[in-house]
Order: sequence, then structure tokens, then C-alpha cells
Amino acid sequence: MDTHVIQTENLTKSYGTRIAVNHLNLTVEAKQIHGFLGPNGAGKTTTIKMLVGLLRPDSGSLKILGMNAAGDKPRIRERIGYMPELPKFPKHLTGEELLDVYGRMYNIPKETRRKRIPELLKMVGLEGRGRDRIGKYSKGMQQRIGIAQALLNDPELVILDEPSIGLDPVGMVEVRDMVKEIVKGGQTVFFSSHLLAEVQQICDHVSIINNGNMLFTGTLDEVASKAGPSRRLVLEVQKASDSILHALKALSFATVNTNDNTYTLHLKTKDDVRAEISRAVSAAGGVILRMQEEGGGLEDAFMSLVGKEAE
Amino acid sequence: MTLAPNPDAVSGFFNTFSGIFIFLIAVATTMNTISGEFETGSITPLLTKPVSKNTVFLGKIVASFLTLIAIYAFLTVYVIVGSVVIEGSQNNLLLAPLGLFGLTLATMVWASMVILLGTLSKSSLVAALGSFGVFIGVTIVGTILSSVYGQTSVLFYAPGGGANGSTGSCETFPRSGTNFATGTDNLGYLLIQLVLNPSAVLNFCGVRFGPGGREGEIFTASSDTVATVALRALAVAIVYLAALLVVSWYAFRRSQIVESA
Ligand SMILES: Nc1ncnc2c1ncn2[C@@H]1O[C@H](COP(=O)(O)OP(=O)(O)O)[C@@H](O)[C@H]1O
Ligand SMILES: [Mg+2]
Repeated sequence: MDTHVIQTENLTKSYGTRIAVNHLNLTVEAKQIHGFLGPNGAGKTTTIKMLVGLLRPDSGSLKILGMNAAGDKPRIRERIGYMPELPKFPKHLTGEELLDVYGRMYNIPKETRRKRIPELLKMVGLEGRGRDRIGKYSKGMQQRIGIAQALLNDPELVILDEPSIGLDPVGMVEVRDMVKEIVKGGQTVFFSSHLLAEVQQICDHVSIINNGNMLFTGTLDEVASKAGPSRRLVLEVQKASDSILHALKALSFATVNTNDNTYTLHLKTKDDVRAEISRAVSAAGGVILRMQEEGGGLEDAFMSLVGKEAE
Repeated sequence: MTLAPNPDAVSGFFNTFSGIFIFLIAVATTMNTISGEFETGSITPLLTKPVSKNTVFLGKIVASFLTLIAIYAFLTVYVIVGSVVIEGSQNNLLLAPLGLFGLTLATMVWASMVILLGTLSKSSLVAALGSFGVFIGVTIVGTILSSVYGQTSVLFYAPGGGANGSTGSCETFPRSGTNFATGTDNLGYLLIQLVLNPSAVLNFCGVRFGPGGREGEIFTASSDTVATVALRALAVAIVYLAALLVVSWYAFRRSQIVESA
């Protein structure tokens, strides 16, 4: 029995000569909140479109809920929920009508639909707007109805493509809360984002992609420790001296770089070593003006992996 | 002034309502049929619901067909009421549903062309203009073939207006008898004639030019009974319809949603 909810092997897709997704191996286990993180153009949407059957992979294999997902697979689709990136729905329908039409496609009985649709509208913050036409919805409201329609069938796996893109900060927080709400029901959530902070706040697992290549996959803690460079401690002294440098170099848990009156220590430990450092500097006759820990968190790890500035 | 009563006004409607009229109705009802879903982006949530692509496609075709039937049913009732009021009581009103069916089928031939181009291009503009190009092309080529080369048989197997058949002789002038087009566009009238005059003979005239561009000579290129002509047009329409829809269906199944949001 396969417990992987999503499993791809060497999944590859090109647009003409541009390789959008390159031999991607992605595994998502049941009940994970799995973030799919990468800058714009990394290949997140292309990967997700292959997962839900909108694009055909050039090569590689693809399993969803243990089933081969290549081709037109309604049997898989009835068990997953998907929200496209910037979803577009028929403008002439109202929010309620849309959910009702889609609900019928899932063969949800009428009584269930009648109960579930208002609940969903409420959950995504569209209470009272269900009778308005989607053509009159703001961007944020379209995202919300997009989340609602992805949850209609009480899916085992929810795939959200940049659910908070284009939302204002308040809306982004609300979307995060919705995602947290979804997983309370025991579902698996796979969602893409180009925002590290968002992934950090919601997910337990993360896969980082750039230029179509998987850079890292694992828990959040693992990213910070494995993928990231060591922590840095920046130390500014009143006057640099050889004896201070010597004392710092003697420390077993760090390597040192010098620059004028500043020393940068690359720490190999996670312990708080500031007291030891300050004793060593004092003993060497130095006076510490400033001691500051820099980076070393997820942000640093992400930056070093992706190798470019985030917006 | 009083109009002479015309008891054949209703079947006359099925004779004249063809060509560009049914083409335009086909375009109006189907130019957005599949391309529109791609253009608005609503194809994405649709195709990720547990409905197979085959069902989505079939649903679109059935919906187009029902729309056409509804349009023509409305038009037919309107024509019947109008004719009875203006022209007096009408012959063969019981055959109006048959005419309606033929008209719908005739329009579906063009509609499936529009749907095919829309599915391939994912653009309703290309669907409309492209099929207009095909319509014009078929019409022009048909006219040239029939008038210049005296060839009518090729027109039996092309969609559109087809060859002109006459119950009168080609060689006498002015031509006696009735004339009407016998292409797929005219299925409504042809099916009515199939019931009324199946064994009547239709002559298809050709023009032969003498050497050195001398004046053309009109001759009888071929003759067939109404039954043969009508059933052949029906078969040709069904073959075009099926072929165009099968190719569209295949294209739809193969289509990918590459458009970025
Ligand atoms: N329809 C398309 N045609 C050509 N190139 C595309 C298309 N869609 C995406 N791409 C390219 O593929 C790469 C991955 O895009 P995408 O999967 O949308 O990235 P993301 O969702 O991570 O922002 C990018 O380089 C993008 O320019
Ligand atoms: Mg994207």
C-alpha cells in the first residue's frame, strides 16, 4: 500500500526549449501541510498543473493517492480539491450557483449541497455575498470562492496554487487561517507560494524549487539546519588586535573572518555562545562594542538555496 | 392590393433559408462553445472537476444542438403563423418538423467546423473568421467548378450549397420546371421533397466551352431522383459532421491548459 499522497519521479515539462520543470522528485505524505516554495517562474504552477491533469508531462511518472495520474483521471479528481493560480470562474453565475454547479459535478446530493455551500461561503469570508454575480467580485473575493470550490467535495488532498497572491495583508492572514482550518479536518494540503514567511507560518514540510529544479525537501527545521549556512555572529571591538584574533581562532565552535574592527564568526553550534566569546575577547584585552547574531534562519537558508533576492 | 395566396410559403422558407443565413447562425451559436472556456479561463476549474473530458465535450455538442433546435423551432413557428395569417392555409404543415430537423443538421455541419477551429485555436475570433474563410472558399470554389468546368458531381460531396438541380431540361431555354440547391445547406427542403416527390428526376446542368473560347453550351451533366439526391446530401452532411466532431474531440482531449494566468 502506498501512503504517499503525491509522488512524482523525474517529472519534466518544457515549453518549447525552456525547461519549466526538470526531473522533479516530489513526495508528499498524508496529513502534511506541505509548502511548495520558490520564486516567480520557478515552475510551481507548471508542476501543479501536471498534478491535476491540466498539462501532460514530457517525461517522468506521477502518482496521486497511489494512483497513476497521467491522462484524464476523473476518479482522482473526485478525491482532490484544486484552486488554480488567480482562478477565473464563469462571470454570469453567482457564488452560490457556481458552488452548486460544481457540487453537482461531484455528485454531492442536493441536501448536502444546501447545507455545505453556506458553510463554505462563511468559512472563506463570503457570507452574505453568495447571491452576487462572480463578475462583480473583487480579486480577493474570487480567490476566496476559489478556495471554497476546492473544498466542496471534502477532499483528501487540497492543492492550492498561490492562494494568497494578489491579496492585501489582512486577506493574506485570513487565507493562512483558512488553510490552518482545512487541516484540522485531517486533510493533506499542498500549496505553493513565493513567500517564505507564509510557508514558515503554515507548513510543517517544505519543498523548495528554483528554475525547475528541486533544491530541498524536508521539514522546516531541516531546511534551516541542513540547507542553510552556519549561523553568523558579528563582533565589533574598539580596536582590533592579533591577540583578539588569536583568542577567537582558538574557539572550537567557530571560524573567523576579520574586517577592520569587525570579526565575523561562523558558528558550528546552535548553543548560545555569546558569554564564552565575550570572556575570550576580554581575556585578550579587547573591548566589545557590539555583538550581533545575523541570519542563519530559514530566510538565509532560502536565500542561499535560491541564490537571489526575494521581493 | 391583395396578395395571391401562396400555400407553399412554409416549405418555401426551408428552400430559401440556407447558405449565409445558416452559416451565420452556426457561428453565432458556437463560436464560443469551447474556445470561450479557454479564453475566459473557466476551462481550468471545469476540467479539474471529476467530469471526464469526453463528457465535457459531449455536453458542449449537445448544448449547441439543442440551442440550434430551439432557435429553428422558434423561427419555424414564427414563419408558420406569419404564412397562415398572410398567405392563407398552408400545404404540408406536418412536414415542418422534418424541415426543422434538416435545417438543424445542415447548420450543425458548419457549427462543427466552427467548433473544430475554436478547439484548435482556443480563440473564438479565429473560430468565426476561420470558418467564414472556409465557407467563402467552399462557395467560390464550388461556383467556379460548377460554372466554368461544367463539373457538378464534385459539389455533391462538398458541404454548403451544392449543385443546383432542376426538374426541367438543361437544354431548353428558358428553363422549365423548378430549380433548387441540393447541398447540405438545403437539407431542410430536401427532406421535405424526399417525402413529397421522391421519384421526381432532377437534372444537373453543366457548361461546356468550345475550343478558342467560343460560346458555352449547356448540357445535362447528370440526373438523379430526388430520393437519391436528398439521401446523398443527408449522408454527406452526416459524414462531415462526424468527421469534424471526431477531430475536434481528439483535439480537445489532447489540449493542455498552458496559458499562464
Ligand atoms: N504558457 C507558457 N509558455 C511558455 N513558457 C511558460 C508558460 N508558462 C510558464 N512558462 C515558463 O515556465 C517557467 C515556470 O513557470 P511557472 O510554472 O508558471 O512558475 P511559477 O508558478 O513558479 O511562478 C517560467 O520560466 C515561465 O516563464
Ligand atoms: Mg505560479
